[in-house]
Parts: sequence; C-alpha cells; structure tokens
Amino acid sequence: MKFGNIKSIVAGLLVGGALCGNAIAAETLFSNNVFAVAPAGAEGSLWAFSRNGSYSGVTLLTFNVPDKGSVSLESTEKEAVSDTLTAVHNGFLFDSDEFAERRRIPAVYTGSKLGLVLPMFAMDDDDRYLQPAGFFSILDPKTINEYAIEVPSNAEDFKDPMKYTVSGFAYDSTGKRLWLARGALGLMVHDVSSNKGSKDTTFVLNVEKEELEQLKGSTVLDSTKYLDVYDVRLHPETGDLWLATAQGIWVKSSSGLKNVSKKLKDSRVTGLWMGGNPLQIIAETNYKDKKNVVGGLWRIYGEKSKDFVKVDFLDTAGKVLKKDIYDEADYTVGDVAFIGNKAFVLVRTAGGSASGYLKLDSLGVKAWEQDDDGKNQWLYGYETGATDRRFVIKSMCAFPLSKKRMGLAIATYGNGISVSADSGATWNVILNRAKLDNNLGSIRMVPSVITPGDEALVSYKVGRESKITIEVFSYDMRKVRTIVKNAVRNADALRSTNPKEDFWDGRDDHGKDCTMGVYYIRVKDNHGHIGWGKAMTLGGNFR
Amino acid sequence: MIKFKNLVVAALAVGAFASSAMAIGFTKKSELGGFDGFVERMGAGVRELGRGNTGSADTASMPGAYWNPALLGFRENIGYTVNFEKRDLDRIGGAVGVEGKVGKRMGVGFAMLYRGDTDFKVIDDDDKTLGSASPFFSMFYLGFAFRATRQDAFGLSLSMSYDNLDVAQYFDGIEMEDSFRSPVTINLSWFRQWNEKWSSSVIIRNLSFSENLSAKWTKNPSKDNSLASTEGVRPKVLQIGIGYRTKLLGKNVGAWMEAIDYQVADTLLAFDPQLHVWTGRVGFDCEIIPNGTLRIGMDDLDWMFGAGYKFDIRIGRKRFPIEVNYAFLYESRAGIWTPFTLGLRGYIP
Repeated sequence: MKFGNIKSIVAGLLVGGALCGNAIAAETLFSNNVFAVAPAGAEGSLWAFSRNGSYSGVTLLTFNVPDKGSVSLESTEKEAVSDTLTAVHNGFLFDSDEFAERRRIPAVYTGSKLGLVLPMFAMDDDDRYLQPAGFFSILDPKTINEYAIEVPSNAEDFKDPMKYTVSGFAYDSTGKRLWLARGALGLMVHDVSSNKGSKDTTFVLNVEKEELEQLKGSTVLDSTKYLDVYDVRLHPETGDLWLATAQGIWVKSSSGLKNVSKKLKDSRVTGLWMGGNPLQIIAETNYKDKKNVVGGLWRIYGEKSKDFVKVDFLDTAGKVLKKDIYDEADYTVGDVAFIGNKAFVLVRTAGGSASGYLKLDSLGVKAWEQDDDGKNQWLYGYETGATDRRFVIKSMCAFPLSKKRMGLAIATYGNGISVSADSGATWNVILNRAKLDNNLGSIRMVPSVITPGDEALVSYKVGRESKITIEVFSYDMRKVRTIVKNAVRNADALRSTNPKEDFWDGRDDHGKDCTMGVYYIRVKDNHGHIGWGKAMTLGGNFR
Repeated sequence: MIKFKNLVVAALAVGAFASSAMAIGFTKKSELGGFDGFVERMGAGVRELGRGNTGSADTASMPGAYWNPALLGFRENIGYTVNFEKRDLDRIGGAVGVEGKVGKRMGVGFAMLYRGDTDFKVIDDDDKTLGSASPFFSMFYLGFAFRATRQDAFGLSLSMSYDNLDVAQYFDGIEMEDSFRSPVTINLSWFRQWNEKWSSSVIIRNLSFSENLSAKWTKNPSKDNSLASTEGVRPKVLQIGIGYRTKLLGKNVGAWMEAIDYQVADTLLAFDPQLHVWTGRVGFDCEIIPNGTLRIGMDDLDWMFGAGYKFDIRIGRKRFPIEVNYAFLYESRAGIWTPFTLGLRGYIP
C-alpha cells in the first residue's frame, strides 16, 4: 500500500490474553509491518525496521522501566530509507524463499562506528527487491548510510543474485572490522579501522586448502572447491571467527582455519548464534531434499560440551521425545535471543503459516502444554500472549532495558512489535493506531481491504463498560456474520477493541468466503450507540 | 372469485412465510449476502421499490429486461425509465432502461442497474487512511420477448456484470486489478395475463454455460498473480410472481406478490433446503387520486412506502405520458432509513 510518514498516534493497550501485560501509550512505528528488531546500544533503546509495500524505514524506540518491571514507551523516532532500497527482500516479505539463510534479516548493532547494520536490497529488472546491494549502517534515524558492495565479475554467472545475499554480520570492535557472510561469494570484511575510509576485501573458503583466500578476478567459483558461507560470528570469549557454511562449521583462529564439528562436518549449516551465560552456541542445519525442507537445531552448551549435539525436545513432564518440531513442519530459525541461561529461538514455517519462539534451557525445549490430541506445544506466540493478533513473527532480539534487566522484543508482520520486561511472561504491544471518536463515533476497519482469512480489525472506542455486538452486512443489508454478541468491552482512552475477537476475516457465519465486494460492519453497544465501518473483501473461493 | 380481503390475507401470509424463512434457519450452509448478485437482489425502478420490489407480474414494470423480459412482448410504445436512489452509508444506486416493440409479437429492451459506494475509506495495516475510493457494481440486461398468445409471452435476457473496486491506486508493489466482468448469464421467463385481474410470472435467473449451469466465474485481483484468484458466484434464482388488479371503493388497487428461491450451491439442482434461501416480496398500490398512486410493500424484511404521479407533456400534437415516482425505504435488519429515491418513466408514442 502507499505509505507516507505515519501520523503520530498514541498507541497501546492490550485487552484479553492471559499473559498479556501492561498497556503502552506510544508514539508509533514507521509501519506496523516490522521485519527486524535489534538492540540500539543504549539501555532501553530498540531499533525496528519496517517495510510497507515499496517503502521502508526505521524506528528508534526508547523505553522507561519503572520499578515494578513493566515497560513504558518514552519516545520514538522514525525515518524512511531511500525509496529504492530496503532491508526486507521480497522472499522474506512474502515468505516465499525456502532457503533458511535467507529467511531472516541479520540486524546487528555494532557500536558507534557503524551503528545498526542491515542488509540492503535494490530492485531487480522485474521491480522486485531481490538484488543484493550492500548494507545499511544506521547511526541514528537522521543518519542512515547506504554502503554499496560491488559484485565481482566472478558472480556474473549466477542466475540468482540472492545466492550472494548478505545473511550474517559479525563486528570486531577491536579491529573495527565488519564481517559479512555472502553465501556463494564467501566472506567479506568491511574494514573501518582507518581514518581515510573503509576498505572491502572478499575471501572465499577453499575447502581443499582449508584456508580463506582472497577472491581474485581469475577465481572460478566452484561450489565443490569454495564453500558457501551463510553466517558469521565472533566468539565472545576467544574472538575467533566462526563460519556457518555449506559443509560444516569452520573456525578461523590463530592456529588456522578448521572444520570444528565432527557432527556437523558435512552438514549445510545455515545459521550460528552465540550468547547467554553459560555460553551457548546454537547452529541451524537446513537443506532441501526432493520434497521437504529438512531442518535441525544443534548447540554447544557451556564449557564442557565439546561438539554440537541436537537439541532435545521434551514433553510437559520433561521426558525427551524422539520426534521434535522439525518432524511436524518445515521450520527455519529466524533469530535467537539470549537472556541468562535461556535461549529464545524464533522459528517460522516455510510459507509463514506458523511462527513463534522456543524456550531453550539447559535440558532442551520443554513443551508448555499438551493439547487434547496429545500434541506438544513448544511454540510461544499468540497462544501465550506474545502477540494479541495471529500475525507472523518475523524477528526477535534481546536488548538491555536497564543495567539489571534484559528485555525481549519480537517483530510482527502487521501488528507492530511486542516487548517483554520479564523474559516473556508478559508482553506489551506497540503499534500504529488512529485516533477514534468516543462511544462508537468512528469505526475503523484495519485494514479495510482484505482477502478471506486476513483479519480486518474492528477498531472502536466506548466511554464506559459496554456490551458490544458486531455484525457484518452485505451491500443489500443482509446480515452475513455476527462477530461478537453482547461481548463485554472496557472503556479505554484509546481503543476498546479486543483484538483477539473483534475482527472480520471476510467470511460469513458458516465459514464461507464472501464474494468480492463492500461489506458494512455495524457496532452496537447496550447504551444506544451505533457505529458503522466498511470493509472490502477481494473474495474467495466457492466451497 | 377471490375477495380482495382474502387476497390480502393470503399475500401477507405467503410473504410472511417467505420473509421468515431466513429467520428460522434455512440458510445454514451459506449466507445469501455473501454471494454476488446484490445488484439484482435489490431490484430496479422506484415505482416497483415503493411496493416491495414487486414487478415481475406487472406488464407496466420497467425496466422489463430486468424484471421479466417476457413483459417486453406487451410493449406498444418505446418506454424508458431513469431511477436514482441515495441510501445511508454513502450508497448510491440507480437503474435505466429503454424498451420497445419489435414487429407484432416481439419486444426488446435494455437495462442497466448500478450500485456504488461514494466514500469507501481505504485504510492500510498502519491504521492510516490512504484515501477514499468509489467502488461500483453494475449489471446490464438485454432482453427479448415473444408474445405467443394474447395472454402469454416468453422472454429471455442476457445479463452480465461489470464491477470496479477503485482501490488499485492505493496498492503499491502489487499490480492490482480494479475492474471485473462476469460472463454472460441467461435469464428465462414466462408471463401470463390470466384475465383482466390476474397475472403471473415465472423467471429463472443466472443460468450459465458452466458445469451445473451455474453463474460462476474466476476473478483475478492482480495482474501479476501476486493475489490469489477468487470466484464470482451468483446463485440461481427461481422467482414466481402473482399480480391482482381490481377496483376498491371506485379506486384502482393492485396487490403483488413474489416468492423467490435462491439456490446457494454450485449444483444443477439442489433439493436440500439448507442449500436454498427463500424470500418473499409483497406490495400494494392504490390510485387514491386520479393519476396519483400510493404504494406500500415489503421486500423480505425491509419495508417500503411509495408514491407516484402520472401526467402528460404535450409537444405539438403528441402527448408524452410521464410518471414521477418516489419511495421511502427502511432496511430493517440494519435499521437504516432511506428517504431519497426518485424515478422517472414514460413512453414515447
């Protein structure tokens, strides 16, 4: 959709959701379609990167942390990036890219030199953001630098430019060097140690010689000789460079370059994450066989572990199960956030139908519930109150809220961000909301154009506790749907909507898709107030 | 002979039955409002609207190509009609029609029905109003009639819809399609004037050449296939109408009734009552003063009142009969009053 700077609106409340916490009154985001969150260096600061249609931008959020542990938003600043560039490529936006290393946006805060770094994409010949173009370096909302990276002639034979997309960053604050994992183009270092400017050098991992050799114009990029590099990390204790590659995990240390994991020696390792106390190193393996995406989650936990072991999935009683979440669907890891001895692993299915985070402790991932069918629930998300609408979670990070407390943030495609000050026990939602007239004086369907299955939120406000009835009528005023009937809603200064219930999905009372057209949504309270909103569905399929 | 009082009672009973059909749960499978075809469900012509959208069994109904193409077989002159309505919630609509006699036994007519919304706010995911769109939905009818006897006529009309959502301009990054056209569908009808008082009609609407003869077609909302294709579906309709004209206290009165069955299923014929929605229409008119008519009616659960006045305009030696009509509408399920509908119709001798 077209997009301009969002009008500043006070936002924030959460109605319903057992685990949902305090309401937040907030300046809003660049867009509710948030694809990446990352620490911003200072305590209580968070970056959010949004894309809405062709327009992208960042929001810098600053939080207050009162004594009780709740979070309140103090301020936000937002700015658009160039309207021909974005950090969110189309494969990530539409969840259409099946390669795990491209199903995340590496967003890393590097310090004052480069600030927040994010990959940068330009449009290809078909006007799709699928052309890797370099990286963003965002120091503050007013200082958004665009670093273009030259594509060497060696890569001209690649039909798919996304083969050399940037899928990982690691910043060496001592050497003032930014390492970039570039897939088929190996590893690049962006050296900013000199006052005269930066210098870029590209290396490829020669599997035969077991060394990183500088990419030359004459180098033929044979994937059997030179390994794709999908992620890069700097070990927080040793400072060694860890590389996730098409054949195992390689570590560059003072003693040379080695494939360090016997278990993952030949595995396609698509992601690496390090953090927590004790230190955890988490690796994702992922490849595509004939039909399915085959994923796996591995880790090294603490100093005693010598090699990666597969992460255990436990039932609610703590029994280790033979089957894990990867046996249920084609999951890939989006991000990993570390707080203390826990890792919060964001996963998402290919296609984006399911998303949520796993809580990984010393034992493994323990199910928080077993449903009536005996299925273990490992994913935290909408069902546990992390979001108040069933939207896809695209990114996750831990960030310092204060000296003593780490916060968690998740980014959703459509429902802004959620922030937790208590390691995910309660969440606060922050998103854009328009001002509403009191007592059903204005009804807004957000968004007002949907396809069946989408959710158009019925946004309204009442001045006192009310019993609300929401009904959908066709153009000829035939009732097609009762959304809620006499549902109790509280007075609220901003919005009385219960986002878990008060939405229309483009279907009638029997679950059938309504055909294309304009529909009218009536909201009535028990005090004689009536308001009308409008929504358009593009129609569905006759079933 | 049926007394007028009995007819009224019978009409109200059938109308009430048909009207209550939805209320007692015959529509468990699908809601009629979720289907295409609201443009024709809402009727055409302010004169007919004022008496409950009843017009299929009245030779004077216009546009005939919409109401019952068989009526075109009774045209003696060129008839025309122009109608406009403004309903609450920014809805505007209208209908135009022109029709006439062809040869001794045939008639032909054209009709266009229009419904639109003049202020649809396009709101994006960020709760930002991007602008206002004016989507509209229209249907076109081309009707033909053959008058088999002095009393009977058979009609056929071809209809198609053209819709424009007017929202594509607000979508960036998607080559969205605004306009959609349905394939041609076929409507068949029969009209019989039993005597000077009684008339009847049978109409079958929305037959198509697809499997099961359903009026079903594919709509592609985006030119670049970024949005999933959807389907348009207009239910098959069986519409049966009865008309009765007489004099009461020396004044011309008429009673009109229609029973309508919508088959909300993509099957050739479905006998499961759950796949049908039955509604009814009932209307009365009375010429309370010479050339001045008052009307009252009920279309399903909606109430209407109407008035009309006929007069002639002389141009030279010719007289051009004209009728101005007004209707007041209450859409009871939504609780919406519509005070402004106006129609003009007449004949060119």
